[in-house]
Amino acid sequence: MNCKKVEKLILRAFDGRLTEDEKKELEAHLKQCPQCRTTQEEYQLILDTLRKEDFPEPKPYFLERLQPKLREVKKYEPWMVWKQWGMRAIPVSLLVIIFLSATLILFSPPREEVELSQAFSQSGLLLLQNQNLFQETTTLLETGGTEDKNMMVIFTSIDDKNGTRRDF
Amino acid sequence: MEEKDLVRSSKEGNEEAFASLVKKYRVKVFNLAFSLTRDRDTADDLAQEVFIKAYFALPRFELRSEFGTWLYRITINHVRDFLRKTSRMKRLSIDEIKESSIPQEDETMKREKEQTEERRKKILRRAIQILPDKHQVILSLRDIQGLSYEEITKILRISPGTVDSRLHRARKLLRKKLAPFLSQKGGNHELQEG
Repeated sequence: MNCKKVEKLILRAFDGRLTEDEKKELEAHLKQCPQCRTTQEEYQLILDTLRKEDFPEPKPYFLERLQPKLREVKKYEPWMVWKQWGMRAIPVSLLVIIFLSATLILFSPPREEVELSQAFSQSGLLLLQNQNLFQETTTLLETGGTEDKNMMVIFTSIDDKNGTRRDF
Repeated sequence: MEEKDLVRSSKEGNEEAFASLVKKYRVKVFNLAFSLTRDRDTADDLAQEVFIKAYFALPRFELRSEFGTWLYRITINHVRDFLRKTSRMKRLSIDEIKESSIPQEDETMKREKEQTEERRKKILRRAIQILPDKHQVILSLRDIQGLSYEEITKILRISPGTVDSRLHRARKLLRKKLAPFLSQKGGNHELQEG
């Protein structure tokens, strides 16, 4: 067994975490290795000193000093809760606002088309749709007799006044 | 009243029940804070702050672990935060330890065993203070406070294997830092029996 592994065993032995076989192995190695014996003695000295550590007492009236502090902090508890959660809520709220705005923009109805049909006259729409404004007149002029043409012109003008349209 | 009942009452805002818990744990919390800070006033202040934190965190404590384990966890985290904030200004380097600890030869001869012991502890404390946080904590819990492996795994929320390896590493590091004082060849013998 090499000395590095033995150091591990020495340390585990202090915690009582060695198996019987490991204990025997360690003892056998320590008998014939002065360097590892020194290592063991040094660790023993360090751990003994640590375990013998004495602690001072807490300062007197520990509880009596604590109680007024608790009451003081209690007074500000709502503010503390706000400080803890409210501050975190700000970025979350901002994200929600951004998300809602984006949703409204993306999924709102196509209002432009509605507005166009209301904003423009029929002639204007025909122009926008790149259609011939004089379609009706041309059709009338291309039809047969003069009397028919006159009658159609009269009907068309009456229809225009009534707000209806006749397609030929 | 049993501890669990005291905890339940404290959760409901019973100040007397909480006072009983403070009485039971004040020395343990103080000792843990002291073992990490090495200053009585600081450790006392930190222990008070730990109990204030614990009181306001009690509503979130679900009694899944022992109250003591939970309180130790709060203490360790609080002391760690404190040490980080203060940037360990009071820490001494190992060189300073050497400088301040090497006594004059004729004085050493006169010193009694008690003084030697006290010096030894002082050197050890300082050597521990220059170890990384996690190693300080594990040494404090295991070798100073004497907590079991099982308790340490619960407090630090690490596996027994990690406790083992971290403790091993911490002890090795400590021995390395103390090498000049342990050396029998030419070094001074501060840690050896006087």
